[in-house]
Amino acid sequence: MSWKLFNLLLEASLMTIFVSTVSILIGLFLAILLSAANLSGIRPLQWFAKFFISFFRGTPLLVQLLLLYNLLPVVGIQIPSLVTAIIGLSICTAAYQAENLRGGFEGVPTGLVESADMAGFSPVQTFFHIRVPIALRLTLPALINEAILILKASSLVSVVGLIELTRMAQNLVASTFMPLEIYASAGLIYLVINLVVATAGRQLERRLPGVGGK
Amino acid sequence: MRNKVISALAGAALLMGGAAAAQAQDALARIKEAGVMKVGTETAFAPFDYIDAGDHVGLNMDVFAAIGEELGVEIEWITLDWAGVLPGLEAGQFDMVAGPATITKARMERYRFTPPIAEATVALLKSAKDDSITKPEDIAGKTIGSGHATAQLAQLEEFGKTLTPAPETKDYVSFNEAYADLAAGRIAGVANSLPNIAFVAQQRPEIFAVVAPFGTKTYFGFPGLKDDDHASLMDAIDAAILKMKADGRLGEMQQKWFGQTFDTPDAVTEPNI
Amino acid sequence: MGFDFNVILSKQDALVSGIGMTIFVWVVGTLFAAVIGFVIATARRYGGVIVDKALTVPIEVIRGTPFLVQLFLLYFGGPYIGLSLDALPAGLLALSIYGAAYFAEIFRAGYQSVPPGHVEAAECLGFTRIQIIRNILLPEMALLVIPPSVNMAIILLKETALLSLITVPEMTMTASAIGSQEYAFVEAMVLIALVYWVLVELAGLLGRLAEKKLSRYRLAKA
Repeated sequence: MSWKLFNLLLEASLMTIFVSTVSILIGLFLAILLSAANLSGIRPLQWFAKFFISFFRGTPLLVQLLLLYNLLPVVGIQIPSLVTAIIGLSICTAAYQAENLRGGFEGVPTGLVESADMAGFSPVQTFFHIRVPIALRLTLPALINEAILILKASSLVSVVGLIELTRMAQNLVASTFMPLEIYASAGLIYLVINLVVATAGRQLERRLPGVGGK
Repeated sequence: MRNKVISALAGAALLMGGAAAAQAQDALARIKEAGVMKVGTETAFAPFDYIDAGDHVGLNMDVFAAIGEELGVEIEWITLDWAGVLPGLEAGQFDMVAGPATITKARMERYRFTPPIAEATVALLKSAKDDSITKPEDIAGKTIGSGHATAQLAQLEEFGKTLTPAPETKDYVSFNEAYADLAAGRIAGVANSLPNIAFVAQQRPEIFAVVAPFGTKTYFGFPGLKDDDHASLMDAIDAAILKMKADGRLGEMQQKWFGQTFDTPDAVTEPNI
Repeated sequence: MGFDFNVILSKQDALVSGIGMTIFVWVVGTLFAAVIGFVIATARRYGGVIVDKALTVPIEVIRGTPFLVQLFLLYFGGPYIGLSLDALPAGLLALSIYGAAYFAEIFRAGYQSVPPGHVEAAECLGFTRIQIIRNILLPEMALLVIPPSVNMAIILLKETALLSLITVPEMTMTASAIGSQEYAFVEAMVLIALVYWVLVELAGLLGRLAEKKLSRYRLAKA
């Protein structure tokens, strides 16, 4: 396999990295909102969060993406492929991250929340200044894991018209008839990206202070 | 709180008003104002659209570049798997479809086609080493692939019903995967339109060979929407294609990509299927 | 645009066979994956340091790459090294290998959760290794491995949708074909999303039931 082909794969992997990174961050934000809904004590909000998490964890991303791409325009929303891909991945990962965060929120020491209340924090302040940072710290390993899952899941976004690493590999296979070399190279690139993310995650975990006097 | 709700509602109303105002112009006017026409296609349909070493090339690129020039707009390509292309057109993801698509009765009820740009009659691609298939009927009892959600697959299935034992059909996300499986020996043939398989066989004569067509004569056209909103756009594209046909540009492109020209009618005729 | 599910439901034969195929590859693939994963975890526990380290590499490679790429590599690349599998066996094999890498980790954690004292006690009583695995290790780790195993089964169910991309006629494939032919793509996708959802919820329910049953068992023992 020539360097030219490998370079094309590398270029396409930038799209993979971009889409995944943006989606993970937006997904994290949405997951925090879902957690807020869950903790709000307001029934309709809790039902919505529950439904959202269950549906998006219960259906394949491929189906979600196809649905999103064909449904949004019907309701009058016109967005390019890149945005559809990011919305699709963000919503999907938000459901998973919310589920991860649930464990984190349960691990926030009640004493801390109570003392924040006594110190005059509003529930919203307590949520964003006490609960969220601690829950995030507690679930950092799960977050890193989710980042790797989303990097891999981004191999599906070509069904909404985005050319990323896997689609580029498919295209190159079509014109060169070298599936073995090209798919193996694509796999190698995914592996390297994921190893970097996993290593960076472990470093980050080591540097951040622990929670709860551990 | 109430103020926020009111302003949110007002904002939504404004947005919808804006959308309505945009709808007042028709598709052609909107495209000209934006300076961009969005065209949906798949890139696994050589020689119409394919990826050559990372670049999207093919007859469609040339034809639409010329159509864009006639209309004074840029072309923006949106590439999907074929099964998603026509639904994407209906969903409004793009202004029209390249493809091209075989002009069939069922599709004509749903879409408006441009004048034919090539013949679409279905033929078979087989392995160059396979002597057991010399005519279409020889596929009886064999496994033949075609593209998922294509008219070619439908014609293969129809033809298969006339044979005993009927061939097994496999539908692939794109024809490229079907070609790869033919090369790998998993299937005995691929059913696709003559220009497509002639191109593939010519690219790799040591691997593939063409078997005579089995389907009735059909044509390829570019499908667009039938509604009033898209009428003037489709008129303009029809005019551009006929102009290219008259001044010989279309013939040159056919020669470049198919190695031959096709004698196609100037208007969509009653399809045979 | 009105939604019309009737056109989809009129093709129920194709739809039902697609759903059947999905359930078939899911159940068979998950069972294979769990068995292979268990064998790998056991080999890592009893096979010595070299086997343990040697098995880490393929597990990490499989966990670090997308299932889609593995599937394409096996199905389209396989024939170039003399491994020309049909779509269904290729899909099952890819699914089993992919799942096995995760199940191996689940069972490894399970093995580690059993207190060494229990195993030593059994050894003193003259239990063979197979007896220890069957009578001590597996029952003791069951409660711990069930939730992640159910989770993995659910992940594998959703991955089966990708088998459509190598021509396995499972439900995403049949639904998208019907959706395209009948011009009801969105309806077709909504319908199968619901089917997946129901299957996932059912799997989750079964998992919780099994967990409940086992935890009662454990409490009784304590």
